[in-house]
Amino acid sequence: MFRRIMIANRGEIALRILRACRTLGVEAVVAYSEADRDSLPAQLADEAICIGPADARRSYLSAPAVISAALVTGCDAVHPGYGFLSEDETFAEVVRAHDLTFIGPPPEVLDRFASKEGTRRLLGGFGLPTIPGSEGMLRDDEHALAEAERIGYPVLIKPSAGGGGKGMRMVRTSRELESAIKICRSEAKSAFGDDSLYLEKWLDDNRHVEIQVAVDRYGAGIHLGERDCSVQRRHQKILEEAPTPALSPEARAALAERAVRAVVSAGYENVGTLEFLIDGAGNAYFIEINCRIQVEHPVTEMLTGIDLVALQIGIAAGEPLGLRQSDIEIKGHAIEFRINAEDPAADFRPGAGVIERYHAPGGPWIRMDSHLYPGYEVPPYYDSLLGKLVVWGPDRETAIARGRAALEELLIEGVTTNIEIHRALLENDTFLEGRMTTNLLDRVGGAAFLAAAAAGARG
Amino acid sequence: MPDAGPQRERATDAGASRDVAARKADHDGIARLSDELLPALIAKLGTTHLGELEVREGDWHIRLRRPYGTAPGEGRRATDKPSRAQPGHEGHGHARAAPEGHRARGSGGPSGITAGSGASSASSNGTGGADERSLERSRAIATSPAVGIFQPGSRAASGTRVRAGDSLGAVNVLGVPQDVLAPVDGIVGSTLVEPGVAVEYGQELIRIELAAAPSGASAPEAGA
Repeated sequence: MFRRIMIANRGEIALRILRACRTLGVEAVVAYSEADRDSLPAQLADEAICIGPADARRSYLSAPAVISAALVTGCDAVHPGYGFLSEDETFAEVVRAHDLTFIGPPPEVLDRFASKEGTRRLLGGFGLPTIPGSEGMLRDDEHALAEAERIGYPVLIKPSAGGGGKGMRMVRTSRELESAIKICRSEAKSAFGDDSLYLEKWLDDNRHVEIQVAVDRYGAGIHLGERDCSVQRRHQKILEEAPTPALSPEARAALAERAVRAVVSAGYENVGTLEFLIDGAGNAYFIEINCRIQVEHPVTEMLTGIDLVALQIGIAAGEPLGLRQSDIEIKGHAIEFRINAEDPAADFRPGAGVIERYHAPGGPWIRMDSHLYPGYEVPPYYDSLLGKLVVWGPDRETAIARGRAALEELLIEGVTTNIEIHRALLENDTFLEGRMTTNLLDRVGGAAFLAAAAAGARG
Repeated sequence: MPDAGPQRERATDAGASRDVAARKADHDGIARLSDELLPALIAKLGTTHLGELEVREGDWHIRLRRPYGTAPGEGRRATDKPSRAQPGHEGHGHARAAPEGHRARGSGGPSGITAGSGASSASSNGTGGADERSLERSRAIATSPAVGIFQPGSRAASGTRVRAGDSLGAVNVLGVPQDVLAPVDGIVGSTLVEPGVAVEYGQELIRIELAAAPSGASAPEAGA
């Protein structure tokens, strides 16, 4: 096991990793930007070191800054969290070149899964059903139009790198494709420094389900069930739950087993997530793999009782998994609400400001992962996630009831949050019946969704 | 954004009596200053830790001043402990009392930009007496451009006269030295960090006593 881990991230995930380090008895150093000097993880760490200015390109995204900080503070491993450098194979390689361990898949594994389009073909070859899409990257507009014609509209334009919905557009006609592709290229270029795009068949009314896997260095792999991430706005998840109401227990188990077999065969290592789209008939299509710990990992922790961050650290340290599939018991139902500093009534515009009052809900089976405290200033430079409220119940109905109570208790003043959208979701018939698809919010927009919920409450 | 604006000397002198050609020349001058020089100066200020830049040309001068407390991405609190980045350092780098610590933000004024008259804004914290304030005004601090190992250069010797932008040493980042720059013209004072020690980004490294301290400022600190 490691002696001292550098946490090269911020916000709630830096705090989450710090807590895992404490549990494991490993010292934790938090690398922070000047904008995060007063952040909770920087204050609670065994040591905190400023690595650069607020601009992430010169701090959280700067490989030399992170690695230099890890070396001068005597760390032997670097945890990148999610986003930033977490799936950057070059960063992982440089980390290793400095005799540090990257907590995640080794660089050659990251490299093998770096291209989303290439991964789809790789895992398709190991028996996963994949979404129809373009052959290779789009060379030019002509190629894009020809491929879209072959796949059949509507299609989704996707960047090969990155995530979070940036550079993604769904188009229904060749005209829309031609205009959207330029926007996608420039968005992808500025967000990920890579403007290569590919196409995927777009399924109307699709659902988004992902399988959590863990594979050790010795080729032993397990799955930890799935998560349903269908509740999104503009391709960004805001609520996740498990088990998914979209599939029968048999279909869930079958999909998870296929997923873990494919990634073990393809040489994956460490924790990872395989994302699938589910069509109206219940058919699953693999779309991409996330080679990192995910925002929504607590959902799985609540169902399995397994600390995924500790597991991830252990695998990176070369420890055997120590778990067989038969050891994994998935119990009850869990829901995670992403609490963001954004205004659902104003097109989810992100906000910033000083947290004037903050109260996290408590009680049995309620978990709040958040870096907020009263007086904390939410900086405007980074993503808008303020925390994650996670609830568990023996069944979906109980989990929803606990979610309602916890959201009622949660208090955040000083910045506009999306708490109202979660309250509205828990009153929405489509959600309550478990029939939600990825366009539940986007079809009407945040403001109309809130208004409909308010009207429903009055009626 | 730095609060930038061309200031015109003797603004009231340039009356309506001046001929059209002279006025046109003036306007061309202003246009050139604002279109070409100003963006370049703003960019320059954005990449340095300077609090203030001033350029004179003929009858005109332009002064850019970074406002206090509005640039959280730059500068560094003088109250922060300088020793946090040392390997094996045991203590917690920050005060535990978060809300109080938070509210204390800005009370010290970001160091490295205490040069020039911009420092007068620092008096708004109300904590420093007149002496302290004039001392602040007579001093600037060169800070670390990166996280790494500090090595002072030959110009870091106490008493050396330096110009703004001179290299006082380097911070070694994975074998690549990054210059520690003098933020102002002045005389090198005390070095706050031992050679070969790990430093973090923005850490205060070397004091600079201003070359032309405003009247009433204390004498430069002795030796150390």
